[in-house]
Amino acid sequence: MNRDVLVIGGGIAGMQASLDLGEMGFQVHLVERLPSIGGKMSQLDKTFPTNDCAL
Amino acid sequence: MSGDTEKTAELNTKDARIGVFVCHCGSNIAGLLDCAGLAEYASGLPNVVFTKNNLYTCSEAGIAEIMNAIKEHGLTRVVVASCSPRTHMPLFKSACAEAGLNQYLFEMANIRDQCSWVHAQDRDLAMVKAEDLIRMAVAKARFLEPAEDIESSLVRRAVVIGGGVAGLSAAGALADMGMEVILVERQAELGGLLRRINRIGPGGEKASELVGTLVAEFKSKPRAKALLESEVSAVSGVVGNYEVTIRDKSGELQTETVGCIVVATGALPFTPEGLYGYNGKNVITQIELEEKLRDGTLDAKRVVMIQCVGARSPERTYCSRICCQTAIKNALYIKELNPEAYVHILYRDIQMYGTDNERTLWDSRGKGVHYDVYDVGRPPVVKDGVVEVYQPLLGEVEQIPFDLLVLSTPLVAPEDAQEVANLMRIPVDQNRFYLEAHAKLRPLDFATDGVFLCGTARYPATVGEAQAQGLGAASRAATVLFKDKLVASALISQVTERCDGCGACVELCPYHALSLEEYEQDGQKLKRNKVDKMLCKGCGVCAATCPKGGVVVCGFTRTQLQAQVDAALEAA
Amino acid sequence: MDVGRHPKIRLLAYSEIEKIDGEMGNFHITVRKKARYVDEKKCTGCGTCAEKCPTVTSDAYNLGLGKAKAIYKYFAQGIPSAYTINANVCRQLQGKKCGVCAKVCQAGAIDYKQQEQIIEFDVGAIIVATGYDLFDATKIPEYGYGRLPNVVTALEFERFLSASGPTHGHVYRRSDLALMDALPEAEKSQQKAAKGLEQLEKKGGMSSADFYAKYEAGELQGEEYDKWAEQVKVSRAATEKLEAMKAKVDQIEGAHRLAFIQCVGSRDIRFNKYCSGFCCMHAVKEAIIGLEHDRDAEVYIFGMDIRAVGKNFEEYRNRGAGSGIKFIRSRVAEIYEDKDHTPILVYEDTKERQVKQLPVDLVILATACQPSEGIVKMAATVGIETNDFGFIKTASYPPLSTSRPGVFVCGCAVSPMDIPESVAQASSAAARAAQVLSGSETERLAS
Repeated sequence: MNRDVLVIGGGIAGMQASLDLGEMGFQVHLVERLPSIGGKMSQLDKTFPTNDCAL
Repeated sequence: MSGDTEKTAELNTKDARIGVFVCHCGSNIAGLLDCAGLAEYASGLPNVVFTKNNLYTCSEAGIAEIMNAIKEHGLTRVVVASCSPRTHMPLFKSACAEAGLNQYLFEMANIRDQCSWVHAQDRDLAMVKAEDLIRMAVAKARFLEPAEDIESSLVRRAVVIGGGVAGLSAAGALADMGMEVILVERQAELGGLLRRINRIGPGGEKASELVGTLVAEFKSKPRAKALLESEVSAVSGVVGNYEVTIRDKSGELQTETVGCIVVATGALPFTPEGLYGYNGKNVITQIELEEKLRDGTLDAKRVVMIQCVGARSPERTYCSRICCQTAIKNALYIKELNPEAYVHILYRDIQMYGTDNERTLWDSRGKGVHYDVYDVGRPPVVKDGVVEVYQPLLGEVEQIPFDLLVLSTPLVAPEDAQEVANLMRIPVDQNRFYLEAHAKLRPLDFATDGVFLCGTARYPATVGEAQAQGLGAASRAATVLFKDKLVASALISQVTERCDGCGACVELCPYHALSLEEYEQDGQKLKRNKVDKMLCKGCGVCAATCPKGGVVVCGFTRTQLQAQVDAALEAA
Repeated sequence: MDVGRHPKIRLLAYSEIEKIDGEMGNFHITVRKKARYVDEKKCTGCGTCAEKCPTVTSDAYNLGLGKAKAIYKYFAQGIPSAYTINANVCRQLQGKKCGVCAKVCQAGAIDYKQQEQIIEFDVGAIIVATGYDLFDATKIPEYGYGRLPNVVTALEFERFLSASGPTHGHVYRRSDLALMDALPEAEKSQQKAAKGLEQLEKKGGMSSADFYAKYEAGELQGEEYDKWAEQVKVSRAATEKLEAMKAKVDQIEGAHRLAFIQCVGSRDIRFNKYCSGFCCMHAVKEAIIGLEHDRDAEVYIFGMDIRAVGKNFEEYRNRGAGSGIKFIRSRVAEIYEDKDHTPILVYEDTKERQVKQLPVDLVILATACQPSEGIVKMAATVGIETNDFGFIKTASYPPLSTSRPGVFVCGCAVSPMDIPESVAQASSAAARAAQVLSGSETERLAS
């Protein structure tokens, strides 16, 4: 049983899943198609309903 | 240098050897400020023995420079003038530690977020401000003291409060991951609201089957244990070591020590007494309809449903998310039982969000379910067996006779939600649902460490959503429970000899980290403040309150802050 | 940030999954790491290369609204912070001579010879979190997207609102933006013409005005004078044009009247029948922020239902209504424009039972959330099925499982959803993966 995990996609869901698993102590391999992670959320200015800055 | 000499050197404020690193941050800072000039300015400050400006201090090269400078120049303090501490402080601190310098002898000046990013209009004034910020950081750095992170052990066990679908999900997942789990359920059986409903949308599975599956799975896990007809009566402690007292139906108490707690206490359907002629007989709620459908006791031929009863109103401002899905699911089931049945849904907005739901909506229209919108300003009026509603599309009032009127009401938080919240010092929002740490990015966490949230206790959710959230809460708890030890910052409150036990600060601590302890001195019984190191977050309310200097926050002592203020006013 | 720094997360950016073999507990993964032509370890992200790069192309991050260079960083705070060369437009990589970035790079990070790398490793579980793409609104010709300049998509509007976007947070009509963009060119032309005149004036020993008067009077004849006269005409035309443009640009105010149109490509029998979940709230948010940027703005949201179903969403929507957003229950039929590029909406107001027309400054289309463009290929590579909506197929129990054991899915790859739900689901998928890695999933499947 290999205890590494592959996460495909570095948007908000992929990042959160990676962080949870990393914190649990598993080795995560996060693969992202674009030159940087962040996904669609990085293109947003602010998010509802708190109007927090998206980054 | 030997260990002892190092220690003495670190503590020495008068002869502190401070290194200042000014970051360009690409063009983020250097685009406005003259970083070489700032480094030069820093070199003229007292105790500064080394300065450097670099392109990206957070890069590998930048970190290497810090570490080399510490070793080569015997630095006993490091100041980085760059971005916000929230970005890279941990990185810089660990660089110092790696080079042999205590990580708490590190200070930052934020010349990006608080300077170059916000003062682009006036370069000259921005330079002055940057110099001020650096001068202040250097002044404080002299008075920094070494400290050690606070470590604590943790118990690899969890308590899940609530045995509905979310709680069962969370408990099952935690058990699978190797934790011992205790599930506390107030009723005599597991399953929560699932026991009352008929079928689960959109697939139409029988709820009783899912309950069976969930309970059987739960029971098959040796590490999971359920305490039925029990309630949590007290909680004390801190993440890693919570003491949870559970009271069973006979009043017996037992205390379990756990590392984390998951709140899955659910919500209940609202009973709309006094609204739309509710009588529990031919004017009923959706949950009552579910029970009729489940028990096979429905015999109505003309069913009218009204959405948003007691919701999206001044008393309950929220949309309960699941009621449109529930109504349509039940409408379709009624049509399945009797294709000739007349079913009419009156709504304000049809909240069939997402893929499956929207398809179900279209299917239901195809199967002959009638839909009409009503205006919140002119809601339907219920007379004897007839619903009168103004039709905006026709401009007329329509009369709709019914055998059964079903009112879709919201899920509401249980009456004792606030009491349960108080047990764990977690907040509730204006609708008495528990308030998570961050609405977007931490939907299953609480600000209180080690306590997590899932299911309808958080907000109305479908069975699928509650299950997923239960898993999510288990994952969040696992990020704590999988660790070997917990580490907390040393920047917390410390009691000094000046404390005379007046207790003014104790009341005000938002984290309940302070208490008064008794001690004896010269035959006298005295009191003084005591800080729980794991609970304290170093917020400073106590230090700001105390008029005697009886409690201070490490890293923000009077001396340190005074030095900063003096430095700030120097050039003025 | 946390992801980039985490000791247990190995980030393979600018990479794609090539192959997945094996089974739950023992998957063998092959990843193709594309060539950035920049050494990630050396690049400090300083940006000098992009500053000096001579090739300008359109900016994908800003959805083509801004400009980028052939060597670029996807966005300023991106992780990894290394730059990337777009091989399709880079002169050097296209075989022409350049090499400017390599010359100016102080870290020596440019590597035109960089190759793709194949990276292989083993894992016990897989999580698919590939997100979504947006509907192409040109498919609805009656809305005029792509033809009418002042009809934009919600994500494009997001970039307008953003302080780090192409307009630094100012909301303008796109037709006005085009005017402002054209000004520098017009200025250049005018200056060039004026310079040309200067030369001739020096040679001729008199001002162009004097010369032209004499020329018109017929006092000066000859080819040289004809050329001068031509140049005078050209210069005068350029100056007139520039003055006219400047006058127009001076009059430009922001876009005051905003109309948001919901369900563009969603709940639509021609395209996606389903609901995209977050666009109602997204429009309310953009409307509220639009009002923050411009308190006098007139803002309309046209929708069939306003789906504010999440926590605090209804309260947020009420706040929007309180701030002045007008909600109109309607599905807009058509958008056309007048000679000033002012978009005009044709719609039926269902509350008042009338067909109306409404001129506005900017129309924002809430385009549908669709399965990612490459989802069919990706699903095939990963060995999982898609459902009839085109998203990744999941079972209802246990949650987030795909058709292949050991592979889980979360977020918009499953179905349109907002951020809190995506984040919660991500944790859920992590729990599922942890169940696998703890051995219990094997037990469950065996039973």
